[in-house]
Amino acid sequence: MRNRAETLAGFMLGFALLFLVWHLAAVYLVHSVLFPRPAPVFWRALDLIEDGLLQEQVVASLRRILQGFLLGSAAGIPLGLAIGSFRPVRVLLEPWTEFFRFIPAVAMITVAVIWFGIGEESKVFLIAYTTIFVIIISTAAGVGAVAKDKLRAAQCLGANRWQLFMLVALPATLPFILTGMRLAMANSFVTIVAAELVASNDGLGKMLWDARLFMQVEDIFVALVTLGLLGFATDRAFRLAIRAFAGRFNPTM
Amino acid sequence: MALVRLEGVGKTFRGKGGSWEAVRDFSLALEEGEFCCLLGTSGCGKTTVLNMLAGFEPVTAGRILLDGQPVAGPGADRGVVFQGHDSLYDWLNALDNIAFGLRLAGMGKRARREKAGHFLRLVGLAGQEGKHPAELSGGMKQRIQIARALAADPRMLLMDEPFGALDAMTRAALQGELSRIWAETRKTVLFITHDIEEAVALATRVGVMTRGPGGTLKAVVPVDLPFPRERTSDAFMAVFRQVHALIHAEIHPQ
Ligand SMILES: Nc1ncnc2c1ncn2[C@@H]1O[C@H](COP(=O)(O)OP(=O)(O)OP(=O)(O)O)[C@@H](O)[C@H]1O
Ligand SMILES: [Mg+2]
Repeated sequence: MRNRAETLAGFMLGFALLFLVWHLAAVYLVHSVLFPRPAPVFWRALDLIEDGLLQEQVVASLRRILQGFLLGSAAGIPLGLAIGSFRPVRVLLEPWTEFFRFIPAVAMITVAVIWFGIGEESKVFLIAYTTIFVIIISTAAGVGAVAKDKLRAAQCLGANRWQLFMLVALPATLPFILTGMRLAMANSFVTIVAAELVASNDGLGKMLWDARLFMQVEDIFVALVTLGLLGFATDRAFRLAIRAFAGRFNPTM
Repeated sequence: MALVRLEGVGKTFRGKGGSWEAVRDFSLALEEGEFCCLLGTSGCGKTTVLNMLAGFEPVTAGRILLDGQPVAGPGADRGVVFQGHDSLYDWLNALDNIAFGLRLAGMGKRARREKAGHFLRLVGLAGQEGKHPAELSGGMKQRIQIARALAADPRMLLMDEPFGALDAMTRAALQGELSRIWAETRKTVLFITHDIEEAVALATRVGVMTRGPGGTLKAVVPVDLPFPRERTSDAFMAVFRQVHALIHAEIHPQ
């Protein structure tokens, strides 16, 4: 068992090192107004937070991510379970998943904007789109990976089909579902920035775009650092969830 | 009347690479309360026989009768202890693994934990109830499998090389405990192994199989020795030699 505080200290040190390297690179390597040092970026971030501007963008982006992500998961998990459990469903739906999986969400931005406009709907659609296929595939793979003996043991303890599914197949698949969600969350970040860059009135992507237009280099870096930190935080949350639910299932997580 | 009757049972697997006869014309009757060991070389079809009796796989020849009724599928009347550890539920702790069958039967949480606790102590795991499978040793996991099967109170226990992957000392200890538990519960047991000493130490009868493919029952040797068995006694050695000769002929055919 690793110590919580130790892990936390390690993370702090890691981030400190990251900012130190950034600082050294800005001072000794690049020498350009286009590559600011951490300190001015930090002060700029404080200003933006004081004015409530940064929070606004963060909330706008996160809300879209969360809505689309939940929508995609809510649809993807049962579909993945069905595909993994029933051969006819798999044969029927695999062409769909394998077809759309290779059309990235970024390529769907244009269609999304044509269909849903530049409001919330197009962004939520894109996030749900990018989420659903990753989750379907990992969930279905999880169902396929349930050890045969787990099901057999339950059968000779008297399990009916429903119990087999609810008490054995589902919990055994959970780590795969959570891992799929974790990957999908990373994809969501990519997609939301791209979508907001192209078509949006707010959000971190929009902030990046505006900052470029007005050559506010510090703002660009504030947005980038914010994205990194948000991503890191959500990924940690997922790993904690996976460990709480299924760490004993998969000790490498 | 015998509890279980295997009559001319055969199993042929059919796949892309053609068909493979794993078991041929296997006949055996198990009496209520007996401890029968099935002994044979690797790949002779032991697990296949067990899988058919457990109802996991259909027979392709002959029939299997349980209480006079043909076996149609797995059921709570036949508890199985599997060859590996895959069958344990990683997300449940030791106690809840043991209580799993009781939960399936709809028993309340309090009652089933109490009953599972009894079987936990029976297999010598008192104090380990909160540990999950990943935190247990190989021997402990096999004890949990045994306790889980026993807790569901099956009519018979089917055990597939349950101690095969354990070190010699742990194995001997578990053999002793299984013998004691069997004496207490008087369950009918079919116990698969490829360890002659293990078979002679545990069984009331030892069935020896011919080597594969198409393994069948070659001979059945009764073991009329009192429990607990003294492994260095002349009587034990005599039975050991008898079984060894039967197996040896399969490993080194003329
Ligand atoms: N599902 C299957 N499909 C095809 N062949 C199989 C299948 N299961 C088992 N066999 C074959 O049947 C034969 C007997 O296998 P089985 O698992 O019963 O052996 P075993 O006696 O239990 O061996 P071991 O002591 O190594 O566990 C083997 O040749 C094996 O390859
Ligand atoms: Mg086997």
